[in-house]
This record gives sequence, structure tokens and C-alpha cells, in this order.
Amino acid sequence: MAGGDYDSPQTSPSLEKQFEKFRVQLEDSGSLRERIRAVVLEIESATRLMQASLLLVHQSKPIPEVLQKANSQINVLKGLYNKLAEVVRECPGQYYRYHGDWRSETQMVVSLLAFMHWLETGNLLMHTEAEEKLGLNNSDFALDLEDYLVGVCFMSNEMPRYVVNQVTAGDYDCPRKVLKFLTDLHAAFRMLNLRNDFLRKKFDSMKYDLRRVEEVYYDVKIRGLATTGDSVGDQGAQKI
Amino acid sequence: MLCSSSAAIKRISVSWLIMANNSNFKSHRLSRSDDAALALESSTKRPRTMSTHSSLKDAFSSYADHLNALNEKRERIVKASRDVTMNSKKVIFQVHRISKANREEVLEKAEKDLAAVRDQHISRLVKELQGTDFWKLRRAYSPGVQEYVEAATFFKFCQTGTLLNLDEINASLLPLSDPSLEPLQINLLDYLLGLADLTGELMRLAIGRISDGEVEYSERICQFVRDIYRELSLLVPLMDDGSDMKTKMDTMLQSVVKIENACFSVRVRGSEYIPLLGSSDPSSFLVGVSDLLTGGDVSCSRFKGLGVGEEMFAPILKIFEAFLDRTLLKLM
Repeated sequence: MAGGDYDSPQTSPSLEKQFEKFRVQLEDSGSLRERIRAVVLEIESATRLMQASLLLVHQSKPIPEVLQKANSQINVLKGLYNKLAEVVRECPGQYYRYHGDWRSETQMVVSLLAFMHWLETGNLLMHTEAEEKLGLNNSDFALDLEDYLVGVCFMSNEMPRYVVNQVTAGDYDCPRKVLKFLTDLHAAFRMLNLRNDFLRKKFDSMKYDLRRVEEVYYDVKIRGLATTGDSVGDQGAQKI
Repeated sequence: MLCSSSAAIKRISVSWLIMANNSNFKSHRLSRSDDAALALESSTKRPRTMSTHSSLKDAFSSYADHLNALNEKRERIVKASRDVTMNSKKVIFQVHRISKANREEVLEKAEKDLAAVRDQHISRLVKELQGTDFWKLRRAYSPGVQEYVEAATFFKFCQTGTLLNLDEINASLLPLSDPSLEPLQINLLDYLLGLADLTGELMRLAIGRISDGEVEYSERICQFVRDIYRELSLLVPLMDDGSDMKTKMDTMLQSVVKIENACFSVRVRGSEYIPLLGSSDPSSFLVGVSDLLTGGDVSCSRFKGLGVGEEMFAPILKIFEAFLDRTLLKLM
């Protein structure tokens, strides 16, 4: 071995220089992450407020009243997502490097938005609509599709409780509507080829929601409590 | 009517399916008349439900397309990454075949193999990855890229004794991609993770070189590995996914210590034999020994010239053999 080449005893300057550069880069990304986390904390607290006002729906508060309060948080969230998008814009193409920092919070946001949308219209909040609500539709900061889908699954988890409480409060038509909605949703989800990941697990849990709602529907129906026609149900939906 | 009632039946059958999971069979007692009522209901509502249903379907079929495309891409990347890993490992083994005699040809072949990995397999990654994919699908390609970094830096060290920089690797990847496309650039984290693995290979190399008598070279490797360890230890707390790197740091430290111990053993214990061996170059006393151990008669004849009898040499040889065996076994 040509030993002469290896005599330089100390760290070569280029090696040191490279690592110095890395340190600066990593510190920059660390501070960016901290700023992201700060915004995500705000998102989380706005979401919590929204959720708290939305919980009143289980205590049979009139839906418009509940929605009005919860809706007021949407604009707050919109502002916060704008802020988040601005921070992330500083590192183009690295959305998914930091994705984990806002992932679960965003799924929660989607689930609440979807639930509110359903209360309002009886339909599923679509991906583009969710982006619109958060002011992300024209942004390079998009709502990740899988996050959206997980959020929808979370919303479905909320349904059985809603149905139970609505029936208790005397709305016997509710189970039929929810059952129809969840059945369609479940069928739609079955069109997706999922991997063995978190989303798959959440989707698997959806059938238990569906079953619970079916049980409630059955209980109401078998006792003749469910209204026969559509009239009441439709009125209810329009009233909302 | 026919259509909607069949839809209702389908709905019931779905619920049936779900029910089958559970011992609670309440809902399939849902009577026929209820069923019919349901069908009647949905027929009156048909226009509205049909439209929302189909828009839901449309949306989900586009989601399905999106997910399918993403999964297929991920699969292709995983495959390419595996090929990169496998072939990079071969390069590393090739470099390990190095010895004093065949240095040039071994490195030449390694260089060719490394270029082949780049042109045949890394180029496949380049084609798949665009824009946000680099980070979204990082887990799919990261193992391959790390292994490639390891092979490239290992080769470079054996060739020049220096560290191959990230910028240099990335520059070598530029020709792979179309100028219109975004080039694949290895990210900092994968580079550092690859470097952490490099030290394990360097440890093997150092031990191999010691047994081959190139003590100085091993000390040079030792110095190099220490430098990398020290520099990396400053970066680990700043890295995104620290846990992976922390375990690598532990094994890296073990490698450093192994090389240090090997150098130590050779220096301290080996020095006892220098006068007896009568080597002309005291710092490379082991050159003679390894020849002795492997060369048998031929090497013994070297010492005849020095007036050392074969029979007088034999016990020392035995001791030395035992010492080397023990030391090296422990080190490997």
C-alpha cells in the first residue's frame, strides 16, 4: 500500500467543512420544524374548541346553533393552515419531510369538518371541498389524500354515538339516514385498494360503526317507532 | 323499481356480511315487508340519492386511481432499492478483496461495478422520483440509497484515502436524469446513515489489513473512522429520525474501539518480536511474519541468511501464531 498518501495525520479540512455545512443545514431544518410545531399547536387548540362546541350536538342542541359556533372556528383554522403553508413554502418539495408534524392534527380537522358538513347537507365532504374549507385548494400545500380518508374514517366513528343520542332525544328517523349514508360510504371505501397501513385499520373499524347503527335502526324499526314515509326525514334535513 | 329493490337487497346483504362476524344475528330478522318498505322508500327518493351516490362513487374512484398509482410507484421504487442494495453489497465485497498485490485491479473492477449500479439501478429510482416524492417515498428507497452511499464512500476511501462528499455523489448522479426532469439528489440524512454503516466496513478492512501486515494503513483507517465518529456525534441530535441513527452510533463506536484495540495489540505485543525477526524496517515487522505464517519454507529460508536456525525459530513462531489467531478471532 502506498503509505505516503496516508500520512496526513489530522482531519482533512474538506471533511470538516462538509460536516460543518451539514450542521448548519440540520439546525436550519430543526428551527423550521419548531416553527411548524408552533403553528400545529395552534391548530390543535382551535380544533379542540371546534370539537367542544360540536359535542353539544349529542345533547340535542339545535343543529344550526351548534354549527354556527363550530363554523366560527373554520376561519381560524383556515388562517392557521395558511400560516403553516407559508412556513413550509420555505423548503420547496419537502412537504413530506415534515408531514408527520401535522398529520394527526389534520386528520382530526378533516373528521370534524366532514361531520359538520354532513350535519349541514347530509352528504360526504369531498377531498376538494375539504381543501377549499381550509383554503388549500390553490396552494402547493395540499391536503394529503390519505389524511383526508383517515379523517373520514374518524368521522364515521362518531356516527353511532350521534344516532343513539338522536334516538334518545326522539328523532326516530335519524338511524335510517345515517345508515344509508354509512352504507354508501362503506361501499365507496371498498373501491380503494388499501395497503396494510393505518388507513386500512381505520377502514376496518368502519364496519363496526355501521353495525352499531344498524342495530339502532333495527331497534327503532321493530318497535314501530320509525316513521314510515320520507316526509319527516326530509323535512328534518331541510330544516337543518 | 326493480333496480332500487335490488339495491335494497344488496344493502341488506352487506349488513348480513358484517353481522356474520358477530354472534348477534338480530338484524337479519328484518322482515320481508320491512324490506319492501325500504325499497319503496328509496324508489321515491331515487333521483336525489342516485345523484349523490354516483358523485360519491366518482370521487372515490378517482381516490382509488390516485392510491393505486402511488402504491404501484412505491412498489417499483422498493424493487429498485433492493437491487441497489444487493449490487452495492457486491461492490463492497469486491473492495474487501483488496491486498497489497492486487490493489489496482480490484479497485478497477469495483469502480466498474459501482458505475453499473448507478447506471442500471439508481437510474430507475431517478425516473420514478419527482417533486414531493423524494420525501414522501423516502422510506421506500432509503435503504438502497444508504447502501449505495456506503459502497461509494468505501470505494473512494480505498482509492484515495479521503471521504467522498455528498456533493460529489450527487454530482455523479446528475448525468442519469433527463435535463428536463428533477434530478435525484441524495438527501443529507441518507448520506449520514450510509456513512454510519461505512465505519463497519472500514473496521473489517482495518482488521484484514493488520493481518496482512499493513499496520500503518490500519492506523490511517482508525484515524479516519474516529474523525467520522466525532463529526457524526455532533449531528445526531439534530437529525430528523434520531433513534435509527443512535443505534448506528453505538455500533460505530464499537467498530472504532475494535480497530483501536487491534492497532494496540499489534504495537504492544508485536514489538517483542522485532529483534528476533531481524526485519530491516522496524515499523513493518509484521510483513515478515505474515510471509512466514503463510509462506512456510520459502519464508524460513529468508532467515537462514541471517543466521537464525529453523529449529530455533519454531517455538517463537508457534507463540506468534497463537497470538495472531487469538487476537484476530477476537477482533473479527
